[in-house]
Amino acid sequence: MEILSNLIDGFGVIGGLIPILIIMLGVVMGIIAGAMPGLSPSMGVALLVPFTYTMSPTLALILLVSIYIAANYGGSITAVTINAPGTPASVVTAFDGYPLTKKGKPGIGLGVSLISSTVGGFIGTLILIFFSAPLAKVALKFHPAEYFALAIFGLTTVASLGGKNWIKAFIAAIFGLLINTIGIDPISGVSRFTFGISYLYDGFALIPALIGLFALSEIFKQLEEGGHKTKTEMDLSSEWPTLRDYIKLKFTIIRSSIMGTLIGIFPGAGATIASFISYDVTKRLSKNPENFGKGEVSGVAAAEAANSSSVGGALVPLLTLGIPGSATTAVLIGALMIHDLTPGPRLFVTHPEIIYGLFASLLVANVALLIFGLFGSRLWVKVTNIPKKILFPLIFAVSIIGSFAVRNSFFDIISCLVFGVFGWILRRNKYPVAPIILGMVLGNIAETNFRRAVMMGGYDIFFTRPTSLILLILGLLSLIFAFIRSNKNLKPKQN
Amino acid sequence: MKKYILILFLILSFSNLFATQNPKIESGFPSKPIKIIVYTSPGGLIDVTTRKFTEIASKYSDATFVVENKPGAGGIVALQKVLSQPANGYTLFACTKSNISKFVSTGGTSYIHALDWLAMLMADPECVITNRKMEISDWTDIVKDAQKKNGEQIWVGPATGGLDHVTAIKIWEQFDFVSKWIPYKSGGKARAALLGKQGHAYVGNPREVLGNPDLKISAVSAKKRLEQFPDVPTFIELGSNELSNEYMWRGFAIKKGVPAEILNWYDKLFQQVNNDPNWRTFWEKGGIEVVYYGPEKFGTIVNSDAEFFRHYLGKIGIIKTENYNIFTRLGSRKGSAFLIVMLLLFNLIVGYFVYKSPKRELLSRILIISFFLSLSLLFYILSFVFPESGVVGPSVVPRLWIFLLIPLNLLLLIKTVSDKNIAEEHSGDVNKVLKFILFLAVYLVGIYFFGYYISSFVFVFMSMYMLGYRKFITMLIISFCWIIFSYLIFYRTLYVPLPIGRLFEILL
Repeated sequence: MEILSNLIDGFGVIGGLIPILIIMLGVVMGIIAGAMPGLSPSMGVALLVPFTYTMSPTLALILLVSIYIAANYGGSITAVTINAPGTPASVVTAFDGYPLTKKGKPGIGLGVSLISSTVGGFIGTLILIFFSAPLAKVALKFHPAEYFALAIFGLTTVASLGGKNWIKAFIAAIFGLLINTIGIDPISGVSRFTFGISYLYDGFALIPALIGLFALSEIFKQLEEGGHKTKTEMDLSSEWPTLRDYIKLKFTIIRSSIMGTLIGIFPGAGATIASFISYDVTKRLSKNPENFGKGEVSGVAAAEAANSSSVGGALVPLLTLGIPGSATTAVLIGALMIHDLTPGPRLFVTHPEIIYGLFASLLVANVALLIFGLFGSRLWVKVTNIPKKILFPLIFAVSIIGSFAVRNSFFDIISCLVFGVFGWILRRNKYPVAPIILGMVLGNIAETNFRRAVMMGGYDIFFTRPTSLILLILGLLSLIFAFIRSNKNLKPKQN
Repeated sequence: MKKYILILFLILSFSNLFATQNPKIESGFPSKPIKIIVYTSPGGLIDVTTRKFTEIASKYSDATFVVENKPGAGGIVALQKVLSQPANGYTLFACTKSNISKFVSTGGTSYIHALDWLAMLMADPECVITNRKMEISDWTDIVKDAQKKNGEQIWVGPATGGLDHVTAIKIWEQFDFVSKWIPYKSGGKARAALLGKQGHAYVGNPREVLGNPDLKISAVSAKKRLEQFPDVPTFIELGSNELSNEYMWRGFAIKKGVPAEILNWYDKLFQQVNNDPNWRTFWEKGGIEVVYYGPEKFGTIVNSDAEFFRHYLGKIGIIKTENYNIFTRLGSRKGSAFLIVMLLLFNLIVGYFVYKSPKRELLSRILIISFFLSLSLLFYILSFVFPESGVVGPSVVPRLWIFLLIPLNLLLLIKTVSDKNIAEEHSGDVNKVLKFILFLAVYLVGIYFFGYYISSFVFVFMSMYMLGYRKFITMLIISFCWIIFSYLIFYRTLYVPLPIGRLFEILL
């Protein structure tokens, strides 16, 4: 009850015209930051930090979290319309979102992604408000052995992503894991596979790789197939999901939102893993798993609900422990400190108005996201109407500038192009490219936690800690299940 | 005639863009925004320091400060950015003592001597932080427990070889015990491990315990007890004089060669910020000592820190002291370049035959397998160069991935060769793609020499042409609009400093 009364006070804090305008501004800027390949939610938030110096701490936080929430959704827009995921977490959205666009139904993909994001954001926020304290305790108990097991569990999703091409999918994932070892070793501090090139000390940045593997390779593929010559002949405006379509997705959205929030609370796990795992679970539970990757709306819903709800999860360790759960929450900690606030449990006691104002603003930001998203989606659909002869050069240009913007590095532009060419070669030889991104995302978590766990308790620690053991068994079962299913699908064709 | 007017208009617009981006240095400094390069992502303490500094400095100067985060490789990426800029005083490097560790382990003294160490603005004493809820949280108990466990006690913290790690080693030496250092990606994650009772101690700065009542400082490396934490004993009280002055500094450096009058301008500004009451209160309440050491004293401190790190990094094996066998030779810059060239050459020759072959479909699949196998071989050989430290050294995981990648590729090779159903699919217009890739490569070269704006204008226009679009006015308008969009959104709004090109850097 105390939480509810505090929350009502929180709504009082953001009740004026200025806070509402700031939420709206944050949401619009967040959608743009997320949709622009190369600008991540953390960059979007960081860019706005200097503008918050002169604001009150409450208003500053409201603006920043509004951007955070909206940027996570924004990434899905370009994933659905042009197969250029704006954020790593929206890679999964592209699996089915872009095929929907290719079928002439971008509105379906955008609509489902928006509603799933909004509902996911709400559920994540509600879990944050009501269960943050016990969840933070769970997050603290998570040992490196468990993080490693979680990463392995995440990697097993490759089996179902690959389908009958599972060997190629695994090769792609391991390639991602291997190139992730380039750079300064996070555990011992020595440089690995850098060839003395200082740009490689920090390894390959994820975003240029993402842009190259998805956006550039897609254009190369379409150029090869002569896709730029065809005219778009789709009646796009009439293709939007109905209320019944959304209701059909309720279990997928709720389940994925809960999973997304829970995965989001573990520092370092984050939105990308949440969306991969939720997508995989949804596919396995589906009656029509063969439709996934071909424009299945529940795939879009699972990915978007999970990555949006992970925002609430990532705020749990930030607010309850003062520990960032994601890159963006690290920026928020900095912003709090600049306003002379120290994040952590004492903040609930010393400045409850800020915490509950923040909670209230998260809920309102989700409503604003829905409103602006509905309006914006209709504009974005028009992007798919632009003739490819004009659109392709602009996507190239966006890719180049987006890759550069990540670290202001020319090297990242070159790596984007190299990944683009490589992605095209792989795709025309039936290798899925998403596992490379999964490998790059999970590589660091898997390696560092594997080595930490072994340093702490030897190799048997993975099997003596119950949570780790359960996750590893789940991973193994998930692999076996995927292979059995893949064989079943193959047999009738062979017969 | 219209064409010429249009061209003239475009040239003028471009000139205007450059003029805004690179105004000539006028008599008074500063005449354009001062960029401060931060080596961490936004949110780190040096980032907060820099942003707070810009806020306070704005009171005393009309200069516009732009904070640019260039994270990566412990500060090397940011340093290289600073060094790539002209020595005109418009690019500062926000640095900490941790950078010196990375400079020593990578570029050595050349990195340190490439900078003028302008101002050290704060020094927070290093301290050992423990979890109040654990049975052992007092310093004397920590020491007893560590000695009893004989190397099994766990200390958590950020990067191996960084300041906190090296300080921990020094503390262990002084109190005659050894512990395990478990590094985490950031201090925050290491603190989470401490709160989760996965380690006994964490080395950090006093400010890090604020806000969380479960965290406790068990000992501090300062000459006397901190006002803000009067109950915390110093290492001197605990029996070690050697640990009386271990601290993390934060400050600013600038590329060598900046004119003296600009250095004086900075000197004055740093002193003003240092004396600002808001600046002092903000940091001092977290136990951070606010100081101002100018170039001379700061330079001496940096050199002494470099010696300190050289000693300890050698000791823990990050700086290699002994070598060599056949693999380490192959892993050297020349050796690895030789290996890469050989493997590339091999794959290119195979690729050429694949391209020319009627069995293109089958052979291209084999070529990809060959690439993955070559990469595995290259990385496997190079993994022998890494120093083997601890239970799981730096080569363990890469080799694990390699050992998975090789059999999977061999399996795929067998499947591919034995698959008689491989149809020779119509592969579309590959040449068109190759031409486009070449054009993109030319575009990148163009960006390097002529900058983003001109090259992108030409690229957008030409690529529309290559795709068969022929409405020239529309093409010009779209190309021009793209440049304006990039400039307004990326450069003006998001402060992304788009490259202006080597040619214009020289000319302007």
